[in-house]
Amino acid sequence: MNVPGLPILTFVTFLPVAGMIVLLALPGSRTKAIKIAANVLTGLEFAATLLILTRFDASAGEMQLVERLPWIKAVGAQYLLGVDGISLLLVLLTSLLTFVATLSSWGAVKGRVKEFYVFLLLLETGMIGVFLALDLLLFYVFWEVVLVPMYFLIGIWGGERRLYAAIKFFLYTLLGSVAMLVGILVLRAAHQTFDWMAMIAAGPVISPALQGWIFLAFFLGFAIKVPMVPFHTWLPDAHVEAPTAASVLLAGVLLKMGAYGFLRFSLPLLPDAARRYAPAMAVLALVAIIYGALVSLMQKDMKRLIAYSSVSHMGFVMLGLFALTPMAAKGAVLQMINHGLSTGALFLIVGIVYERRHTRLIAEFGGLSSRMPVYAAVFLVMTMSSIGLPGLNGFIGEFMILMGTFPVSWLWTAVAATGIVLGAAYMLWLYQRVMFGKIVQPANESLRDLTVREFATFLPLIVLVFWIGIFPKPFLDILDKPVERIVRIVNPAPFEAPR
Amino acid sequence: MSVPPGYGLRPLVPELILLAAAVAALFVHLFARTRGRRAAGHIALAGIGAAGAALVLTPTSAEALFGGHFVADPFAVYFKAAVLLAGALALVLAFRFFDVEGSEPGETYPLMLLAMVGMMAAASAADVVTTYVAFELFAIPSYVLAGIFKKEIRSAEAGIKYFFLGTLSSAIMLLGLALVFGLTGSTAYAEAGPALAGAGGKAGVVAMGLVFAGLFFKAAFVPFHMWAPDVYEGAPTPLAVFLSTAPKAAVVAVLVRAMTSLFGAQVAEWRLVLQAVAIATMFWGNLAALAQKSLKRMLGYSAIAQAGYLAIGLAAWGDTGRMAVLFYTIVYVVMNAAAFGLILLVDRGRRFDETVDGLRGLVRRAPLASAATLVVLLSLTGIPPTAGFMGKYFLFSAAVEKGMVALAAAGALNSVISLFYYFRVGKAMFLEEAADGVASGSGPRPSGSISRLVTVFLAACAVALLLIGLLPGLLTSLAIPAVLAP
Repeated sequence: MNVPGLPILTFVTFLPVAGMIVLLALPGSRTKAIKIAANVLTGLEFAATLLILTRFDASAGEMQLVERLPWIKAVGAQYLLGVDGISLLLVLLTSLLTFVATLSSWGAVKGRVKEFYVFLLLLETGMIGVFLALDLLLFYVFWEVVLVPMYFLIGIWGGERRLYAAIKFFLYTLLGSVAMLVGILVLRAAHQTFDWMAMIAAGPVISPALQGWIFLAFFLGFAIKVPMVPFHTWLPDAHVEAPTAASVLLAGVLLKMGAYGFLRFSLPLLPDAARRYAPAMAVLALVAIIYGALVSLMQKDMKRLIAYSSVSHMGFVMLGLFALTPMAAKGAVLQMINHGLSTGALFLIVGIVYERRHTRLIAEFGGLSSRMPVYAAVFLVMTMSSIGLPGLNGFIGEFMILMGTFPVSWLWTAVAATGIVLGAAYMLWLYQRVMFGKIVQPANESLRDLTVREFATFLPLIVLVFWIGIFPKPFLDILDKPVERIVRIVNPAPFEAPR
Repeated sequence: MSVPPGYGLRPLVPELILLAAAVAALFVHLFARTRGRRAAGHIALAGIGAAGAALVLTPTSAEALFGGHFVADPFAVYFKAAVLLAGALALVLAFRFFDVEGSEPGETYPLMLLAMVGMMAAASAADVVTTYVAFELFAIPSYVLAGIFKKEIRSAEAGIKYFFLGTLSSAIMLLGLALVFGLTGSTAYAEAGPALAGAGGKAGVVAMGLVFAGLFFKAAFVPFHMWAPDVYEGAPTPLAVFLSTAPKAAVVAVLVRAMTSLFGAQVAEWRLVLQAVAIATMFWGNLAALAQKSLKRMLGYSAIAQAGYLAIGLAAWGDTGRMAVLFYTIVYVVMNAAAFGLILLVDRGRRFDETVDGLRGLVRRAPLASAATLVVLLSLTGIPPTAGFMGKYFLFSAAVEKGMVALAAAGALNSVISLFYYFRVGKAMFLEEAADGVASGSGPRPSGSISRLVTVFLAACAVALLLIGLLPGLLTSLAIPAVLAP
């Protein structure tokens, strides 16, 4: 496709890197200037990603605004970017959450401010590149670029056990990545190209047996990232130790990279294997839903609780993807966005009391609602969103996943629905213990409510939580065609059968 | 075969320039006072530069010259460039090292150049006799270089160890080469190769095995690696750079040429052995590196592991495998030199701290050098967007194309293992605070001074690794024409 004027996708991918260079040029001692510059840059980046909407045709299922340049001639790898509805929503989520994370770090990051924002911007380029790359080698490059800044964000600005958590995160995800790399190499040997669109166009040229192996290799890469049980053990450590901004992006975006990988690559490129393994994947997803919820119930640390709740929520996403129906898959993508918004916000919420009290233990709090009414309201909205209260975003996603799963297996649906009940239990219990009751700790008496800046960080998230909950149509319309296109490749049956 | 008319000695000009520079440096060293010895080093560096220029200007030809002894094809030129690059990088580090160390054994410079002449000749050797002579020409100065600080026990030990094991391996290789002559009645690759294919039989396979054993020793492939960690650790750091890079480039050149034109028929028999060597070398190097406390010794094992990745390309063979080997050789030279160079960044009084802990909190005092080191570490681990990733990608991809998925997977797994120790360095520099005064029983340490030369050196290597990582075409455009066709 011929793109007149600005190559918008390249622009949004590399604007953060350009910003990073700007920051590097500033002297490290001028922290205020650095903070302002970083906020302006991530704000601009969010605006730039919104600009994609003006050129985007929401009614099309194909890749749009494709940018193609030769990259490594020796192996036929290309610089190939493109966007469809799925990518677009995830890119918007990424740029929004990065902006929010930057804004939230204003007071939280004390030392080595310049480095912090430099790594944050590098991370943003990596994340956006992952969602836009359509050449598998390029995808891998962006995928790995994400690791390094996250390692440093956890390792430098993290909590007590940050060194352990950082290297655990790095080792775990690198292990998954290299498995994926081998899978990509095998895929490339079969297709003789790295071009996703060409692979889709070529159709099923790989034998089901080989597909199985590639699927397993990809599975290792993506499942660690999601994370699916039993590959989730890096997540609580990374989340608990990471600074708030990194937690927001880790939960909000990095986990989505895994689910996105399944949807973009495993399903359409390895349809036979995906069909064959779908029941196993669904069972793993159900285990994650229940296990994550049960473990959340037992947590004493707020951040750890939210971290485990991510395991449960991402289980829903995986169930939606591997139910292999258009309804469930659409719900899964929407739920990816929802989880990014609500869990991102919940990490911010924990971060705010942590900044004030320097503890995250649930037992240290109680009765905060009387001192921090605005905070209590925001917390309530996000708790309800996370639970899936009708009228808020979480409901739409979870409902679509359950509805799309039901025709496949009522048992799966029933188990997943149990997960929702458990989810309500641990979230409401958390809310009750932290916000209600009498103030026991004297230190909580003088807690300050949200500042204007802090409230401003939440505002876009709150708006979206209500918007998706009340009027999800624009979001679903964008997802309609691209999701159907992918599901149709794996599971043509629902499209052929008369309704 | 006679030299084509009008060709003369031109293909030999780079080697001759280097030889002349070696002699000049030797005399300058002899007659200079202690303080003037650096002049010998400058002559050596200039000689390398001139030889490099000559290398670019000299016409290449696939024809064997001087009675079939010497080929100046693009393949040879590529590896000669790798040798010159390794030599130049080591020389720059040597300046820094001797500045701090105080004493400057000026014979280092001519010896390095002489060794390089041998390595370059080895890359061009097309005859078993030339091959052997070239090998000895670079081996003997190497032994001396490893032990150049003869009063320092570790350096002397390194020299002796290298000498004994080195001569043994040379003898084994010589036996293999003699077998080739015995079987075929010819010493030139061009004649002995086809003859071996016809009449080699089992003896041909044995001959190849013996030659390989000698070459594997020089390249420090497992199980012929025992000398390497001791020598790399014992030798003065710049010479560890030299000995861990330049000879490997030369050996790989000889290996590839021998596998192509001399043992073309026997290679298939050794495919499995090469795979085993690759896997053993990677795992041994990486796992042993995990256990090291000394940064220098860790890098010694890392150098072994890195050679293991190269062996993947040799095992995969084929055009893509050979291209990958060429690509990774240059990348390896740069990465390895930069990694060892890190040791020379900070000096504490008259010596260098060779522990990982010595790097703690360095990012505060040397942000540019630390950032550059980060790129080097990422490259060594094989994480994009660096040249190390691209090199590994080419190697693994070549293996997968030949159906050796397990080999590629082993390589990939090794990247993960290596992350653990490479990022001990990254962790110390970026995540930990400087431990001045608390460290290792030596009482309060001076914080040391940061070398500007090494900073620039690291930055230059990092930029090169990033550029090649982002645009690998820069290097493949040189490597692809140099791939040797069987």
